Amino acid sequence: MALTSALPRTPRRIGWGQRLSRWDVKVSPYLYISPFFLLFAVFGIFPLLFNVVVALHDWHRRAGMGDFVGLDNFAWVLQQPLFWRSLENTISIFLLGGVPQLVLALIIAAILDQNLRARTFWRMSVLIPFVVMPVATSMIFGQVFGQFGILVPNLHALGLFTDSSSPFFQDRFLSHVAIGSMVVFRWTGYNALILLAAMQAVPRELYEAATVDGAGRARQFFSVTIPSIRPTLIFVILTMTIGGLEIFDEARLFDGGGTGGGQGGTDNQWTTVMLYLFNLGFGQWQDRLGQAAAVGWIFAFIILVISLLNFSLTRRISSTDAAPRRPRRRSRSASTAGQPGTPSVIAHEVADDAMEGAGR
Amino acid sequence: MRISTRAGAVIASAALAALALASCSGGGSGGSGGGEATGDNKPEKLTVAAWMDFPPELLQSFEDEYGIEVVVNSFPDGASAQTVLRNGLSSNGAGLSDVHLIELDWWTEMMAVPEDWVELPEIPDRWVDWKVKQGSVDGVITGYGTDIGPLGIAYNEEMMAAAGVATDAESFGELIGGDAASWQSFLDAGRQYVAASDNYYIDSLSSAFQAAINLLPAAFEDADSGQPYELADNAQIEELFMMFAEAAEDGISAGIPIGHADWGAGFQNRQWASVVTPAWMAGIIAENADGVPGWRVSSTFPDGGGNWGGSFFAVPATGENTAWAVKLADYLTSPDAAVQWFHETGQFPSQLEAIASPDIAETENEFFGGQRLGQIYGDLAAGAGDAAAGGYRGENFAGIQTLVTDGIRQVESGSATAQEAWDSVVSEFDALGFDTAD
Repeated sequence: MALTSALPRTPRRIGWGQRLSRWDVKVSPYLYISPFFLLFAVFGIFPLLFNVVVALHDWHRRAGMGDFVGLDNFAWVLQQPLFWRSLENTISIFLLGGVPQLVLALIIAAILDQNLRARTFWRMSVLIPFVVMPVATSMIFGQVFGQFGILVPNLHALGLFTDSSSPFFQDRFLSHVAIGSMVVFRWTGYNALILLAAMQAVPRELYEAATVDGAGRARQFFSVTIPSIRPTLIFVILTMTIGGLEIFDEARLFDGGGTGGGQGGTDNQWTTVMLYLFNLGFGQWQDRLGQAAAVGWIFAFIILVISLLNFSLTRRISSTDAAPRRPRRRSRSASTAGQPGTPSVIAHEVADDAMEGAGR
Repeated sequence: MRISTRAGAVIASAALAALALASCSGGGSGGSGGGEATGDNKPEKLTVAAWMDFPPELLQSFEDEYGIEVVVNSFPDGASAQTVLRNGLSSNGAGLSDVHLIELDWWTEMMAVPEDWVELPEIPDRWVDWKVKQGSVDGVITGYGTDIGPLGIAYNEEMMAAAGVATDAESFGELIGGDAASWQSFLDAGRQYVAASDNYYIDSLSSAFQAAINLLPAAFEDADSGQPYELADNAQIEELFMMFAEAAEDGISAGIPIGHADWGAGFQNRQWASVVTPAWMAGIIAENADGVPGWRVSSTFPDGGGNWGGSFFAVPATGENTAWAVKLADYLTSPDAAVQWFHETGQFPSQLEAIASPDIAETENEFFGGQRLGQIYGDLAAGAGDAAAGGYRGENFAGIQTLVTDGIRQVESGSATAQEAWDSVVSEFDALGFDTAD
């Protein structure tokens, strides 16, 4: 800025170096931040916009762009029974994988939050499943759920599922259970660590106060820990919703491409929406990129709706016991919701709650 | 000094950004191929995409001769190689290797745009005629043949004997119908076997069904127009489908095809007594059934036999070193290489000289009780005659085949009756909305 004010006084000659340095000041900051924006433009915005164009055209992989068809692709997708079947599968797998995952992650985080011996070791070890490649996970679970794995022969011994091949590759619900268990295996540790980080930020005084008031471990967990980590919990649930609905790897690799050829089972028992999209556009021989793009947009909209629903549900659940008692608190909690990093306000509020709850 | 360093940094980062953009938008102009393989255009290395084991000496001797390193981009199975190739072709050759192995089942789909592939020079008298024809598009050779898949049946002598239905190769041949063997007599033999045994007759009827499809002259598509037949009106497929589906209802099959997570374990647990086995599968069975005695290959096959699979090496036109890639494809499909591959993986060659070589006919296979597999598969190939060339395959062959074999799998798993499965296959086919041939 000093340079600009100095300009009128030296009008005759501006040195090359000086000019460069002016540009440097003006341009450099943008260049420094540019890699992200360039990458985002190339890999984020452009595909997004391009996808609109593809979705509105008859588009094949080899032939490329065809005729403009307007919303025909969307109408076509919505009329496909397989699309709706895959949507059911996705939601079912999401629920079977998501709910246990969240419960387990909370429990594990709570345990890790205690004064354990070799704390770092335990904390690191919960992350191991996350580091394992999805391919390896699928292979391991394929063995577990296979006809001759560790599970099915025992079920046979109990007189269950005596079919010729593994029920987990045949039955629709059981295949969802199997894939859901892969999701739980892979993501629980990851979420547990995020929740643990949030739990660590809960002031210890709250627990001391709760202990003095005679609250047990379980009571402390529900009345102190959960309300205190609400913003993080919302974050975890939201990312889990989005990630869980986009499930692809586990479903594609389940069964090693055997019976279903990686398409989600002989009868599409576990075809998820993402797998359906992939099969439409790339995986199978159908070569319908336009329709696949339409699936992408329809599904993005569905994810948005489910996420918003989940968001509002989560907010309500963890503030139910606080809200009706004192109206002023409702306004306060609304202002803090979804704002991570305001622990003092929350802590204060929680302290109120904890005291009150314990004294009631 | 300080300023210029900074200016340098600015320019450098701008250049980097430009480079990043340029490399993203890149794509290549699509090489025309051809040209001579000379010392001037000799690359340091060539890449080849495939999914089977390479005999170790093979690549070494190419490297010794030409001083070019050959890197194998190895895929776990044909399907994943196919996906990469398919996507590479639709993005101007991005991510492709110099030479690609292509399986017969998806050959036509890959050759849908012949300009994507380098025209390969003719090599007289190297292959059986029909292999050359299969590897050509409109009379132009685009793929050099590797192996072929004469169809045989592997069966377990001990298990057959335990059920009291057959003892040796000859009696097994008689069991499935002898010289007049048909799919019906093959499946009836299965009903007889399971009645006398507490394991399954065959690993998977969907695989057997696939073999049966391979014997048809024009299974799903009209040879003139290339358009698929309306599946609901395709009487020969429906008849075949019902025949296999009813056998599946009778429970003669374990329902676990090759590639399934349970396939290897099924051999180890002696779950089934026979497998439809094209030549390339024999080695895979030996690997998976390691330590399980009694497996043999029968020289009798329903309907006189035929061919299942077999691959080609082809050179994508977008490659930078197409001239040398052609040379490599030539080298990899020489009779010598074919013999080495036979010993390494058991693939039966399509090269005349290799087929005739005593090295193949006289090799005894330890796993299959000292049987001479080269001889047996050679006889099966010769016996199949014209059928070995297989029927007409259009662009949608592989896809429709997957659709109908999935129908058999539904029956095998007990989730549908034969009629329900056929109806669901037909409705799935209809949903695809093909322009069908009349």
